[in-house]
Amino acid sequence: GEIKKETGFSHSQITRLYSRFTSLDKGENGTLSREDFQRIPELAINPLGDRIINAFFPEGEDQVNFRGFMRTLAHFRPIEDNEKSKDQNGPEPLNSRSNKLHFAFRLYDLDKDDKISRDELLQVLRMMVGVNISDEQLGSIADRTIQEADQDGDSAISFAEFVKVLEKVDVEQKMSIRFLH
Amino acid sequence: HPLNKQPANGSGEGHAKHRKAFPVLGTDYTRVRMPFEISLWILLACLMKLGFHVIPSVSSIVPESCLLIVVGLLVGGLIKGVGEKPPILKSDIFFLVLLPPIILDAGYFLPLRQFTENLGTILIFAVVGTLWNAFFLGGLMYAVCQLGGPGLNHIGLLANLLFGSIISAVDPVAVLAVFEEIHINELLHILEVPCASLLRGEAVPYQGDSVNPPLPSPSQVLYHLFEEFATFEQVTIIDIILGFLSFFVVSLGGVFVGVIYGVIAAFTSRFTSHIRVIEPLFVFLYSYMAYLSAELFHLSGIMALIASGVVMRPYVEANISHKSHTTIKYFLKMWSSVSETLIFIFLGVSTVAGHHYWNWTFVISTLLFCLIARVLGVLVLTWFINKFRIVKLTPKDQFIIAYGGLRGAIAFSLCYLLDYKHFGMRDMFLTAIITVIFFTVFVQGMTIRPLVDLLAVKKKQETKRSINEEIHTQFLDHLLTGIEDICGHYGHHHWKDKLNRFNKKYVKKCLIAGERSKEPQLIAFYHKMEMKQAIELVESGGIGKIPSAVSTVSIQNINPKTLPVERILPALSKDKEEEIRKILRNNLQKTRQRLRSYNRHTLVADPYEEAWNQMLLRRQKARQLEQKMNNYLTVPAHKLDSPTMSRARIGSDPLAYEPKADSENLPIITIDPASPQSPESVDLVNEEPKGCSGLPPSPEEDEEGLVMRAKEPSSPGTDDVFTPGTSDSPSNQRMLRCLSDPGPRPEPEEGEPFIPKGQ
Repeated sequence: GEIKKETGFSHSQITRLYSRFTSLDKGENGTLSREDFQRIPELAINPLGDRIINAFFPEGEDQVNFRGFMRTLAHFRPIEDNEKSKDQNGPEPLNSRSNKLHFAFRLYDLDKDDKISRDELLQVLRMMVGVNISDEQLGSIADRTIQEADQDGDSAISFAEFVKVLEKVDVEQKMSIRFLH
Repeated sequence: HPLNKQPANGSGEGHAKHRKAFPVLGTDYTRVRMPFEISLWILLACLMKLGFHVIPSVSSIVPESCLLIVVGLLVGGLIKGVGEKPPILKSDIFFLVLLPPIILDAGYFLPLRQFTENLGTILIFAVVGTLWNAFFLGGLMYAVCQLGGPGLNHIGLLANLLFGSIISAVDPVAVLAVFEEIHINELLHILEVPCASLLRGEAVPYQGDSVNPPLPSPSQVLYHLFEEFATFEQVTIIDIILGFLSFFVVSLGGVFVGVIYGVIAAFTSRFTSHIRVIEPLFVFLYSYMAYLSAELFHLSGIMALIASGVVMRPYVEANISHKSHTTIKYFLKMWSSVSETLIFIFLGVSTVAGHHYWNWTFVISTLLFCLIARVLGVLVLTWFINKFRIVKLTPKDQFIIAYGGLRGAIAFSLCYLLDYKHFGMRDMFLTAIITVIFFTVFVQGMTIRPLVDLLAVKKKQETKRSINEEIHTQFLDHLLTGIEDICGHYGHHHWKDKLNRFNKKYVKKCLIAGERSKEPQLIAFYHKMEMKQAIELVESGGIGKIPSAVSTVSIQNINPKTLPVERILPALSKDKEEEIRKILRNNLQKTRQRLRSYNRHTLVADPYEEAWNQMLLRRQKARQLEQKMNNYLTVPAHKLDSPTMSRARIGSDPLAYEPKADSENLPIITIDPASPQSPESVDLVNEEPKGCSGLPPSPEEDEEGLVMRAKEPSSPGTDDVFTPGTSDSPSNQRMLRCLSDPGPRPEPEEGEPFIPKGQ
């Protein structure tokens, strides 16, 4: 009930995801640990695997319960038309464009200083690109990236700049998973 | 005795020649007639195109296609007035010559990402939409015919359905023509165009006495279906099933053929590094062969063409040189542009030439029902599709899709092929089709542009993707794939990821030459972008003027990334400006450097790029040289001499460089130098391109590394060989010219990156 309200998933979706949650939860204690996630084979070869896993776990904790699981996944729910017209008074739904972008931003910004610094960018690039590319080259790509996005001249990408850069990208579509009804 | 005979002959001939004067000038029109006329037509088409754009006011209101049809009408009228029979758009010429370039152009540059994301939608619109249109229209027309009085009664259901099927499909040519002008956003562009293209197939030869026109696939299905319906007592389920089966066979078969040719083309391009000049030709020929082969088996040639273009493109682009890429792009645009123009002109001419039979009821109702059918179809289908889409199609989108359903020359030429025997009312059909075509092209074509502006439909984004977008998009892809895996949901991203992995692991290795196969997509993208900007800078005349130059640059095929620089520009102080220049220079040069290590110009580098490379490298080296000079306090003879000397040295030692094939990382070159090296110079040489075999064409790069040698002025090699090398003078001058540019200030940090990992 609460989960539904908070995340916006439908009942059947929640049920389905719950069964997935329990199938992942090998220890059967109602929570997932990092190892549970790492057991998923495809995630192991995903360059961003570790970061994604970390995103599920709240600050400093090692276990995530179903509610936390759903909260994170709620970011990826497609934006529905009827939601757009909801009143602006309530808290912004988890799957709004801004929240989606915030989620992605947090994956870059590990030290949580609200900026993507050159090093953080380099780390991500290194993960995505593999080992064949030299550091200098990655460095120049990172420099170029920051230079393109940076508007206030602090040599880092703030959230606002991040949003601006992605304004042409259809984030609502890109960051949505069609959960089966 | 021949000699004896000759004078007799000569005199005989001489006698004959005395009759008439020796023809100094004469005309022989018949000999050149065919090519002459063809060239004349094409020339006319191009001149018309030119003319329209010279008169800006006209071209902004009226789309080109309209104007061209009008021209065609005029020309046709002219020819008829003269008394000649104006040429008609023959179907062979149309389908084999005029159509392929347009389709190839659309297919090769198909934005694949958006296509695959919207594949379901496209298919539904294409297949179901057309079927709906055909049946609806045909049925209604039949009703009209029944009610329409004596003139129309005899037209059977079959004929009407056939008519419906011919006219129902949207014409890719017309749509492309109009949509390209209004720069509509890519999504809608995709939805409209492949819809139309997907449907064109070639007829399966059917036993029977009917002529076999090349019909659109669903229409072909329908056509034969109806034919059977007419001849048999009843249509069995088998026939219907076979009919639908044939549709799938035709389309998928076409795709299959296209994929095969695409792969072959990609594979061939892997080896073309030695003969860069004919690379574009391979692309065109293989695609055309795909088209023809598909037509050979009565499969869908258009699907084959598009499939081959899509398949070969990523691999071919990784293999071919930048110039070839430009060539391909421009040739395709040129050919498709000319084809389009010709098609429209011929449409106009054929209108004048053909026999017409005007029947008010038929024509008006056709027009009306076409529109209604299309609108209804789009509405219903969109409602259905939106249930499954993440990003829904807005009413605006729907309107454009419906409104953009132009009919064109294909429908016309198909109708033209209808046999009089079976379809006595062919002329009436023809007239109706022409009316619809004219209406859609003129009215809808003209009004769509202001409507698009009015409705503020999203336009195509003009600027290329920034590297930010590229990085973040990839990032999001990975992210989404991960999330999908967590959910256990095998969605879109999952399969895309799998495909990418497969691609990377197996396919790229085969189809891409050298170590480009290992290059991640991000890097390739970055390189492309940097190269473009580098070329931009060269064309604008020098590195030292980046901010102003970028704004005044006018380059054919490059979208200048003016945005970031201009944006920063107003707020900058002098210092920041310098800093940015520095950064850009650094980036560019480093990339250039790196580009060398992923060198795909092994032998004959094209001189333009080479000059650019050299200039950049020379700058770097010159700067480093200054630094080293400052450090070492030993002043070599001339800064300018050293490259000459080194070149001379190397010029005399052709075995100095061996190209290393396929080294994984930065290349390591073993050199047999003329003089002993210091470790530093060796390391610097490591940065050098490996692929520089063939010395005389490109000696310059090679010894850039050896420029460092200049700091050992006393090395034995220098003195003996100070003779200008073989083909040095032009390069000499070039270099001098480059070096005489106001060089950048020595930047200390530049030294850094060039100390390679090896140290």
